[in-house]
Amino acid sequence: MKLTRRTILAAASLAAFIAQPMMSAAQELPRNVRLVIGSTSTGGDTYQNSAIVAEALADHLGINIKVDAVGASEAFKALKRDSRGTTLMIFHDQSYLGHLYGRRGYEDPFANYAIGPTVAINPGNAYLVPANSPHESMEDILKAAEAGERVRVAIQPGGVSEIGFSAMKNAARVRAPGSEENIVAVNTGSQSDKNQAMWDNLADVINGSIQANEQFTQLGDGDAKGMKFVWITARDATLQQAPAEGMGNTTRDQLLKFASPATSVTLDGEQDFTFDKEFFFLFNPDMDPAIIDQIDTALAEIFEKGDIQKRQKGSFFIPNFLPSKEAKAHLEAKRDTYRNVIAEISGSK
Amino acid sequence: MFELVTPLFLSLIVGGTLVGIIFGAIPGMTATMAVAICLPITYSLGLENGLALLLGLYVGGISGGLVPAILLGIPGTPSSITTTFDGYPMSKKGEGEKALRIGICASLVGGLISLLILFLFAPTLADFAIKFSYVEKFLIIFFALTVMAALSSDMLIGIFSGILGIFVSLIGTYDISKGGNGELRLVPEGTEYWLEGGFSLLPVLIGLFGLAAILEQAEIGMPKGHGIKDIKVGKKSTFSIGIFKGQLINLLRSSGIGTFVGILPGVGGSAASILAYSNAKTFSRNPERFGEGEPAGIMASEAGNNGLTGGALVPLLSLGIPGDSTTALLIGAFTLQGIQVGPLFIGNNPDTWNAMIFAMLVANLAMFAMMYVAIRYFALVVTIPKHILFPVILMMCVIGAYTINYGIMFDVWTLLIFGLFGWLATKLRLEVAPFIIGFILGPSAEVYFVKSLESFGDVTIFFTKSWIAVVLWVLIAASIAGSIILSKKHGEATDT
Repeated sequence: MKLTRRTILAAASLAAFIAQPMMSAAQELPRNVRLVIGSTSTGGDTYQNSAIVAEALADHLGINIKVDAVGASEAFKALKRDSRGTTLMIFHDQSYLGHLYGRRGYEDPFANYAIGPTVAINPGNAYLVPANSPHESMEDILKAAEAGERVRVAIQPGGVSEIGFSAMKNAARVRAPGSEENIVAVNTGSQSDKNQAMWDNLADVINGSIQANEQFTQLGDGDAKGMKFVWITARDATLQQAPAEGMGNTTRDQLLKFASPATSVTLDGEQDFTFDKEFFFLFNPDMDPAIIDQIDTALAEIFEKGDIQKRQKGSFFIPNFLPSKEAKAHLEAKRDTYRNVIAEISGSK
Repeated sequence: MFELVTPLFLSLIVGGTLVGIIFGAIPGMTATMAVAICLPITYSLGLENGLALLLGLYVGGISGGLVPAILLGIPGTPSSITTTFDGYPMSKKGEGEKALRIGICASLVGGLISLLILFLFAPTLADFAIKFSYVEKFLIIFFALTVMAALSSDMLIGIFSGILGIFVSLIGTYDISKGGNGELRLVPEGTEYWLEGGFSLLPVLIGLFGLAAILEQAEIGMPKGHGIKDIKVGKKSTFSIGIFKGQLINLLRSSGIGTFVGILPGVGGSAASILAYSNAKTFSRNPERFGEGEPAGIMASEAGNNGLTGGALVPLLSLGIPGDSTTALLIGAFTLQGIQVGPLFIGNNPDTWNAMIFAMLVANLAMFAMMYVAIRYFALVVTIPKHILFPVILMMCVIGAYTINYGIMFDVWTLLIFGLFGWLATKLRLEVAPFIIGFILGPSAEVYFVKSLESFGDVTIFFTKSWIAVVLWVLIAASIAGSIILSKKHGEATDT
């Protein structure tokens, strides 16, 4: 092609025309946004939550948001590379618990990323025993540890699955120092592995969830697969917001019996330990604060309308919008509590 | 149940199956990817209609993989690797159309048998599946690994290549989500940023089978005026149903193996076709023909991988535990609709259960009808001149590698690295088939072996854990003995 002055001028004008809206929108979310999540599963709670929020946000702002289940390590890498707002991230408490437990690929998110708004809670984190177990409650389990009995707990180490286990050990330490040594971890992988560990009699207690394990609690002790809840880590105030019919054949009132204050796993002899699995945004630390404001404002308006809450509750999530600043303070306070628990049981405090 | 069978329901199954076949047929695209992309759509469709779409995608995606496996020697999905072993040689002999028809018929048989087993025995089989602990799962993987020896033209090199595949598969983090300790192993210093996640299976697969073949062709060059007009699509040998004569046991056994492997969570879909192929070869009267274009090999592979479809739904619908990566996504469809899957699912949701069985039946029949009719057009792929075909394949491979983990550039580098490795491997006399089998099964073998020792204390547990372990050892011994006998025969034939 022959490059005449007219062609060059036309090309420059076109470039300027295209660049203009980009420049004027520099302090807003771009038209196409990639929302990476800290899980590689597109069937799990992180994906579901993110898909619900992404759809609502995209509709509200008139932009495209694509949820990519790349996993924690790749998500953090992608977020670090992009400060334009083209890449955002949603994850849950694992993002700082992974760092507290020293897992590879987890930096301190409070120091290395900007904490965005919280959007929802999954209240389902639970601990279960076999249906024919002599242990009926956490009280039985902690007493057994005090009596010198070894209690094996199947968890996936280094995060959400382990924090309840750490709390059990901490409670045992508070009640009878030294008894925490009798509560030992059985390191497994997925939920399937944890269930199998119970069925193979490799674990006395397993970490699970209301959603994944409730049906097993309905089988009774005549079935080798039968289980029973002993502890749900969510706060009472969180579970109270779940639908009254609860999950499956277990009503909300029945679920509340396994959560604090009815089931007590002490934090310090006075308060109970609780853990809500909260989902929140993470941003590149250099992203324009105006974009964070835009997301905060948009989510505030979305939650004001109320439609998103119906969808979240339909999937057994508890709506939980906190704008970025409040979210950060709230999550930092949570992090401090759990850091103490981990430090206490590891003897580093 | 019949009120659920609406024109929309049927259209979604057929449409899903068609899209699934297309995904399966494109190297680098998989059934899992098709289901992942369509999952969000199911929210607005409702549960039964959503499942109709996803099950169609699942069946179509698993089946479509045979097309490039046979015509191009590139497995469309990891579970169709063993289809390349005999399908591609048949294609090169001008029997591509015949091979496709054999594969499609075997896929239908595998799909229907597994569906029947799912319908009749799901809860009972789930109770049996939970008897398989780490020990038994390791032995199954070990059994599948023994196929490495049987697939090699030189047993020693084959075993070496397989072990190299296992070694390469272990590069990266010992994944916590699979029961590991989260630490890096076999990662050279300075490469942690890229290698911490290890090499993904699909880019490795399409690199070894797709890109390596293109590089090989580039090295040979193309004679002037060359198309592939010399390859006759199906003129040389026509398909007749008589080819299945004497193969009933092979089909039943392979379908059964596929279903059984699907029932066991964590064993992995690729193991189904590998085990089915290995057994077909071990029990064949003509094992030496396997790998040279033996129809029984295609039958075993395709009946095995389609047998997986019904089997993988057993633990999903009876325990709430997915049997493979694709059914793991189906859980998302249930939870999006607020439906729990677990041991009470079938009893609590009889209509949904029946609708799923019906959808699987229609999907299998639709898959058969669509693929059988379209074979002639599929088979024309081999008549496309390579200078047009190869760039298109290369582009699809790169796109597939980039999208498999939702946009990770290192996966494209993986494709290129293993393409180059595959090209060099033949020059170094390494064997690619055992290498990839080692690569696929290595991570599971590691996890189950380590977990067995962690859980039960010492190696004697592999022999004493249960009667299932004893049966598996007998099968392993038979497979190894078969390979040695075959290798000796092969050696004698070469000497004479």
